[in-house]
Amino acid sequence: MNYQMNKFLFSMILTELEDAVGKENCSTRAIDKVTHSVDYYWLSRMWADRGERMPEADFVVCPQDATEVSKVVKIANYYKIPVTTWGAGGGTQGGAIPVCGGIVLDTKRMNKIYEVNTEGMYIECGTGAIYKHIEWAANEVGKATMHYPSSLTCSTVGGFLAHRGIGVCSTKYGKIDDMVLQMEVVLPNGDIINTASAPKHAAGPDLNQIFIGSEGTLGIITKAQIRIFDQPEERRFRGFLFQDMHGAFQASRELLQKFKPSVMRLYDEAETASLIKKIVGVERPGAFMNIAIEGVRELVEVEEKILLETFAKYGAEDLGSEYGEKWWKEKITFFYPGHMMDIPQMFGTMDTIAPYGKIEEIYWAMKEAIETNFPQAKFIAHFSHWYEWGSMIYDRFIIEGKDVPEDPVEALRLHQAVWTCGVRAALAHGGVVNDHHGVGIKLGRLMKEQYGPAMQVFEGLKKQLDPNGIMNPFKLGL
Amino acid sequence: MNMSEKSKAHVDSCRFCWMCHHICPIGNATGQERNTARARALGISMVNRESIDLSEIMDNIYECATCGACVHECVTGWDPVMFTKETRLQAALEDKLPEYINKMLDSALELGNPYGKSELDRALADAIETHSDKNDLLFWLGTDARYMASSEGIRAIKVMEKTGVPFTVLADETASGAQLDFLIGGAEETKEQMLRAAEVMNGYKTVVIYDPNDAKAVMQTYKEYGVEVKASVMTYTSYLAEAVESGKLALKKTDKTVVIQDPYQLSRDLGESDAIRTVAGAVAGVEEMLCNRDQTAWAGNILMAAYMPEIIKKVAARRIFNAKSVGAKAMLTASVSEYVALRSVEQDEVEILSLEDLILGE
Repeated sequence: MNYQMNKFLFSMILTELEDAVGKENCSTRAIDKVTHSVDYYWLSRMWADRGERMPEADFVVCPQDATEVSKVVKIANYYKIPVTTWGAGGGTQGGAIPVCGGIVLDTKRMNKIYEVNTEGMYIECGTGAIYKHIEWAANEVGKATMHYPSSLTCSTVGGFLAHRGIGVCSTKYGKIDDMVLQMEVVLPNGDIINTASAPKHAAGPDLNQIFIGSEGTLGIITKAQIRIFDQPEERRFRGFLFQDMHGAFQASRELLQKFKPSVMRLYDEAETASLIKKIVGVERPGAFMNIAIEGVRELVEVEEKILLETFAKYGAEDLGSEYGEKWWKEKITFFYPGHMMDIPQMFGTMDTIAPYGKIEEIYWAMKEAIETNFPQAKFIAHFSHWYEWGSMIYDRFIIEGKDVPEDPVEALRLHQAVWTCGVRAALAHGGVVNDHHGVGIKLGRLMKEQYGPAMQVFEGLKKQLDPNGIMNPFKLGL
Repeated sequence: MNMSEKSKAHVDSCRFCWMCHHICPIGNATGQERNTARARALGISMVNRESIDLSEIMDNIYECATCGACVHECVTGWDPVMFTKETRLQAALEDKLPEYINKMLDSALELGNPYGKSELDRALADAIETHSDKNDLLFWLGTDARYMASSEGIRAIKVMEKTGVPFTVLADETASGAQLDFLIGGAEETKEQMLRAAEVMNGYKTVVIYDPNDAKAVMQTYKEYGVEVKASVMTYTSYLAEAVESGKLALKKTDKTVVIQDPYQLSRDLGESDAIRTVAGAVAGVEEMLCNRDQTAWAGNILMAAYMPEIIKKVAARRIFNAKSVGAKAMLTASVSEYVALRSVEQDEVEILSLEDLILGE
């Protein structure tokens, strides 16, 4: 239910918000409210598809900098109106949906690129910048962000930070939380703060990591210094076919003790036989794995030799470079209409992460849980972000449209049940609620199950920073 | 809403797809979520599901430039321009157009231009008069140059004169239909306007079209609507490029360097992006900026500035920022409409040049 206010109070608050951000940047138009009510979350899409209106904001405001954000949250705090931060709406967890009405604060006017610093190797930008635009800015000076998720063109810097996103080259370059040097954050009381001037220090806990992943519940990140890298002299691909995933895990674990490839993607047999067959063209049974090695040419030469020797030990068939190059070229094609799942299908990515000792067990447990409890669901997975100590699973369930209830509430119930089942299976075997899409409203209920009494740390932060509970209510389990 | 099955399918895909979020020149300039293909599709899909009224989304439908950047970007081949234009047509049929669009539409139908202009500027009329004799070659100025950028129209005629080939300019040139197509898509009135223009053009051996927007209409949209032009049609830029290459147009090299702002109608729709570089290269050094050739980012136009001037200034300013980012001191466009939009931005770091500026050196 939307935040309730009478016409008089509504008009008063509207004039204050217009004063804060400018009349043209404060909207109560239906199109703006509708647009900000549906993000990439399957439930919001289904709801709209069924002709229902999702919960909408009362006001959509677009501030241009931290000063204006500060004014907005001060108004919101005074009137105790919810504030939901919206980047580009490409999130899958419903994190940007204003479920309680109030204010949607769209960050995209904060898209200024303040500095491209090739000495300190970072770009300082407003968090409303679309990530592809900062990639362009880096490319203009011969550098690259090396953060290439499928949502590169769909999402803002702030959106990736809010949900702890990840890109396809993460194994070498890191997650978004590894990409940040310093941030500017507006606290719920309107104070504007800066995190430490360097990300590695001993000056207490890391403020960056308190706000990264907080999904707008503790404050609004308004500016960030994002790392850039030299373009690699060389990027080489190699495709492999393993007889089964177990061998691939052993080979990969050993490889990562020696060096870090940029791209490492292992597909289970089901995904190899479906998506990989369709897009990349591998038509053989087994588990397809794609590796990219990049950097200084001489090092790439050595690393490729180590790769081939290591994988050969575990029986991997070397498929050469063709498939990997094709995958790189088509890596975003997977997510376009006609290639990506879409309504009327029900689907979701239940990504989780764990050390090597647990990750295979989690995969089998989740697969069994989904396929046993929901025989109408197909389960496919790949493993695309690797560490010396473990890996993540990008596992998906897909239910064909004929098996999805037409009634939106019934469809919601099924969706909730599948998610609860899948994530609980992951938690039971040592996984976490999510790897890189965040929590949002979709998984908030499961946060306490993962963290137990540790959840009080987050709750304490929330209570101290946002005593009125206005910041993105019902997200992150807070 | 009455809409083709093809458009409905595209709407129902695009509403939940974010892949072209970064490419909309208007969305990038305004930072507004509604200025995206997915937002327009979502709004239309909700109209189709009767959960929002068509009139509530029409302002947003007219915030689209129909530049096709999103279409070009889409791997799947979906076409937000198609469903945007169909929605405009449907709103016209249902009498749900915004008032400011109705006003422009009335003017476009009655006067042949959407700007409420009934007379040409005197100096332009005089320049046209000197080319009133019938020749094999017709130089088609277009509505924007005739009514909203007459000094550019005059200078374009001067450039044509430098080629030494006799040509005709029509005092009573009709509208090409391009602007009606933007306002209400493929309505009967649009096709009628196009048929009238085609009939005039067919009285000549060759037609050189000054405005890329008209060129796109005549060379591409006419075919889609079954309107036949028998005359040989050329863009102004390709005509000048040929003149440069054949020696008909002798140009002197200067020490100026320009970046090219490719009009999308030429580079994306008609596949023509070398011609402007050929002409520019004869006078100046040529450099590139972000989003060039068929990846170009639209820099604004006169038509949309008539009803959303501040947004068009932001669009143009963003493109000037792109030029500044590569250290450009001058930016060249072959579109009279983009030229006017770019010059409406108050700044003095990047000189905005038309082909006429470059060739005439004024």
